[in-house]
Amino acid sequence: MLERGLSRLGMVSNRSKSLFYGFLSLTSLMLIWFLSTSVFELIEPRVLPSPVAVVNQLIWIIEVPFSGLTLPGHILSSLERWGWGVFTAMVIGIPVGVLFAWTPWFKSLMNPVFELIHFIPPFAYIPLAVLWFGASTATQAMVVFVAAFPAFVINTQLGVSQVDKILVDAARVYGAGPFATLRRVVIPAAAPSIYTGLRIAISNGWMALVGAELVVGKVGLGFMISQGQENASVATIFVGVITIGWLGVMIDTIVQRSERYVLPWRKNVSLNSG
Amino acid sequence: MDRLPGSKSFLVGIAAIGCWVIVWWWLTRSGGPVPTLYFPSPEDVWTKFVRMWTRPYIGSTLLEHILSSLYIVLFGWAVAAVVGIPLGIAMAWWKKLKWIVFPIFQIIRPVPPLAWIPLTILWLGIGDIARMSVVFIAALVPWLMNSMLAVYSVDKILIDAGKTLGANDRQILTRIVCRTALPTLVAAARMALGNAWSTLVAAEILAATAGLGYVAVNASQLLDTDVLLVAMFMIAILGIALTALISLTQRYLAPWSVTSVQRG
Repeated sequence: MLERGLSRLGMVSNRSKSLFYGFLSLTSLMLIWFLSTSVFELIEPRVLPSPVAVVNQLIWIIEVPFSGLTLPGHILSSLERWGWGVFTAMVIGIPVGVLFAWTPWFKSLMNPVFELIHFIPPFAYIPLAVLWFGASTATQAMVVFVAAFPAFVINTQLGVSQVDKILVDAARVYGAGPFATLRRVVIPAAAPSIYTGLRIAISNGWMALVGAELVVGKVGLGFMISQGQENASVATIFVGVITIGWLGVMIDTIVQRSERYVLPWRKNVSLNSG
Repeated sequence: MDRLPGSKSFLVGIAAIGCWVIVWWWLTRSGGPVPTLYFPSPEDVWTKFVRMWTRPYIGSTLLEHILSSLYIVLFGWAVAAVVGIPLGIAMAWWKKLKWIVFPIFQIIRPVPPLAWIPLTILWLGIGDIARMSVVFIAALVPWLMNSMLAVYSVDKILIDAGKTLGANDRQILTRIVCRTALPTLVAAARMALGNAWSTLVAAEILAATAGLGYVAVNASQLLDTDVLLVAMFMIAILGIALTALISLTQRYLAPWSVTSVQRG
C-alpha cells in the first residue's frame, strides 16, 4: 500500500530523474565506503571491512562452510523452519479465523488467549520456546508460528465477515450444506483478504525467525550473523544481513506476483463487492 | 457475527478470562497434567510477581527492570522521531532530497532491525547505547515513511487555497502541512513505538544487564518458569499501556482525527 501510494504521488512522473539521483546517491555511498576502507584505509577492517572483503567473504562462504554449513545450507535451514512455522500458523489460523467470524461465543471464549499471543512480541516467546523445546527446530518454528498466527486469524476473520450475505443465502437456497458453502462460496470470496494475511504472516515470520536464530540454534542465517559477531568478523555479518534482507524482499515479491495465478478470480470478486 | 454491545462484551471478556485462569489453574495444580517446570501455576506467578517488586532478581527489582526497558525504548524512539519527522517532511517537500535519500532507505528497510544487533554489539558493546541504536533503527523507518506519507496525504486544495490567500512556502509548511499531517504522525508514533518495543525485547535477550527481556532469558536459563511468565506478562502490559498512551495523546493533540483514524 505504501509503495503504491508513493509511486502514485510523484515517483512515476519524474521516474528517470529520480532513478538518476538514486543511482548517484547509491554509487557515491559505495564509493565513500570503498575509498575510506580500501584506498585510504581510514577505518580499520576490524570495524568496517571494505566492500571487496564483503564480496570475497560472500564468495568464500558459498563454498566453504562457516560454523558448520555453507551459505546455501544456512539459507535452506532457515527457510525450512520458517516454512514449518508459517504453514502450521496457516493450517490453524484460517479455521480459527472462520470460526471467529461465524461463532461469536467461540470468539468471546478464545479472545483472551488470542490477544495474549497477539500482544506479546514474538521475540518474548523465544525464552519460553527454548525452555520447552531446547535448541531444536521446534523452537524456531514456534516463534515463527507465534509471529504469523495473528495475521492469519485477523485477516481470515475480516475476509469472512465481509462476504456478501446474499452469496451465502443463495448457496443455502440452492441446497448447499454449511461445509459446501464454506468451501465453494465463503473461502473463495474471502481469499483476497486471507492472501493479504499470508503476506503479513510471511514477513512477520521471517523477522521472528531471524530473532530466534540469533538467540538459539546451530544453523540458519541468524545463527550465522551471531557467529560472525563472536568471531569478530564484520564481513560475515554484512553478508548475513544482506542475505536476510534480500531473501525477505524476494519471498514477498514472489508471493505478491503469484497472487494472480493463485487467485485468478480476485478481480471479479473485488469488482462485485466494490 | 453481530457485535455485542459495549458493557456486555466487556463482561463476557472478563468471564472468558476467568474461565482460562481456572483451566490454567486446573492444568498446573500439584499432581496435575502439566508439570510446573514447563508451565507454572497462577499462584506461583502471582507470588513471584509480588516478590519481585521488593526482592531483586538478577541484580534489580522488577521496577528497575521495567524502568531500564522503558528508558531505552523511549530514548531510541524519541531520537528516531527527532531525526525521522523532519527528514520525512523535508523529503516530501524537496523532491531532490527524496531522490537522494530514499534509495538508501529502500535498501535498509527490508532488513529486520534486529539483524543489526550483532553489528551493534561488535561496534558498541553491550551497553545501553547498543540497544538504543537498534531501537532507533527499528523506529526510524516508520517515523520517516509516515511523515513522508503524511505530507503527501495533505489535500492539494488546502495548499492551493493557502497560496491564493497569499501564504508563502514556509507558512504553508508550518500552518497547513504540519497540522493536517498530525493524525498520520500520531499513527506513525504508534507504529514506531510498537516496532521499537518488540525489537527492544529481542535486543535485551541478546545483550543487556537489565530489562524485561534480560529477565526473561535469564529465567529461561535458570528454569524459573514463573519469573519468565511474569516478564512476558509485563512485556505485554507495558506494550498495551504505551499504545494506549499514544491514543490518548492523539485525542488531546488532534481531537478531530480520533474517529477517522481509530481502528477496530
